[in-house]
Amino acid sequence: MKNYMLILILLLATISCASAEDYEDYSDDEIRTLLPFDAIPAITDPQFVSAGAAKLDVDTPVIGVTFNGESHAYSVYLLNGHEIVNDVVGGMNIATTW
Amino acid sequence: MYDHQTRSLWSHITGEAIQGPLTGMQLKPLASMPQIAWNTWQLNYPETQVLSVPTRDGMREGINQDVYADYHASQRAGVSGMEYTDNRLPNKSLVIGVQVPAKHGNTQFRAYPLTHFTETAVINDTPNDMPLLIFHDKKSFATAVFNRNVAGDARTFSHQDRHFVEDNTGTRWNLVTGEAVSGKDEGARLERLPAINIYWFAWARYHPETSIYR
Repeated sequence: MKNYMLILILLLATISCASAEDYEDYSDDEIRTLLPFDAIPAITDPQFVSAGAAKLDVDTPVIGVTFNGESHAYSVYLLNGHEIVNDVVGGMNIATTW
Repeated sequence: MYDHQTRSLWSHITGEAIQGPLTGMQLKPLASMPQIAWNTWQLNYPETQVLSVPTRDGMREGINQDVYADYHASQRAGVSGMEYTDNRLPNKSLVIGVQVPAKHGNTQFRAYPLTHFTETAVINDTPNDMPLLIFHDKKSFATAVFNRNVAGDARTFSHQDRHFVEDNTGTRWNLVTGEAVSGKDEGARLERLPAINIYWFAWARYHPETSIYR
């Protein structure tokens, strides 16, 4: 799993673009807010290509899911910048998280 | 994570809402292959669709660089200022984290260090009276957890080659798909259970009561 301090560092450019009204501080004794909402933009309308059309190195790590005969793969390196994909696979509403 | 509808906060490790209107609600964890080499996935699921994301350079299915490579190679652990004190394993040890279904009593949590998978790709374990098969292929990084029960019998699996293993009835299984490829149960499918590849410090923080397979 990832280190949120690192995310802070890596995504400073993104953070500086987030508007102030997007920021909700949920900090309390147990939860610390480190990033504004959507500083790491989740994917809400995912697009897909076939395996044959996908340009991926053979050893690229992917997250693979398969439900009811339908399968989706997501490059882990690509998900570093998104962390969540809101998806529908085999009729199931899923969130793939990384 | 937060949801757009209520802006409740959810843990991406446990799936539980921890703040906001939906506090206490639980997302159902689903089974995936948490990190598997693209060619191994494609070989087993040739019909797979692949996520494609718009970038400045057009649509892309991948990037060649892991922006967290330095972090993964380092000893750094967790959020700045937090201390991780469960020293049963080194903080940055990778484990397979499993929520063992509650057959009797409470759900249990169990960690399988990847160091166990240097000589074998399979572990037969029975936590909580649940016959589990833990699979990890170090080359493709394929990870899967299955219920060892097949037609009412708890099978015992031994390692053969890469992601193919044989059980004590001589049935041969592909453990990427969970499907029996030859033998008396050919065509049968093992029940896949949710599992994650995770650093020990994070798993132990979210599930301090976890046991460790030794």
